[in-house]
Amino acid sequence: MSHISKIELEIKDLDALKNACKRLGFHFMTNQKQYTWYGKWISQEPLPIGITEDELGFCTHCIHVPQAVFEIGVVRKDNKYTLLWDSWVGGGLQMYIGKDAGILKQAYAIESVKKTAKLKGFRMTEKKMDKKVRISLCIS
Amino acid sequence: MKQIFIDVSDDGEVRIETKGFSGKDCIEESQFVKDLLGNEIARALVPAFYMRNKEKVKRHIPLCG
Repeated sequence: MSHISKIELEIKDLDALKNACKRLGFHFMTNQKQYTWYGKWISQEPLPIGITEDELGFCTHCIHVPQAVFEIGVVRKDNKYTLLWDSWVGGGLQMYIGKDAGILKQAYAIESVKKTAKLKGFRMTEKKMDKKVRISLCIS
Repeated sequence: MKQIFIDVSDDGEVRIETKGFSGKDCIEESQFVKDLLGNEIARALVPAFYMRNKEKVKRHIPLCG
């Protein structure tokens, strides 16, 4: 082992996000410009960085989770994508996308690495472990 | 064998470990994963980082007295 790094995940690859949705059974709605939410910001929590209250409810693309009432907005900002969603329990998203959309982000990271590993010709394995997924890449 | 392990937790946290590299190769060869997934916010080097061609580089700390 040589070093360990912690990465702050950013969503940059829309194809990988689409594949993540497919993996989880969600529907990626290309060019759907609004997503379903409560309609009013009432949380005490801060808004996502770079997003104003007026921008809530609007998006570049949308993700529909079949079992949930609310939807996830995918907003393009500076060549990356921010996910917006209403975590109110009645909206039903939390159960399927996890806290802070962790399950969706996890699926995105796997699909993103999978795509690049294939392009670079690296052997990749994926293993579900306790509360995480381990991806192994063999470089040589 | 050179390996890169990417652990993605259920809450979306990403941690990368490299194995089988010597010296700074691990930083260079794993950079594409970091660029792909986001920004590196913390890094810890482990003893193998200080190896050059499987030769351990000793670091001496000057002590007073």
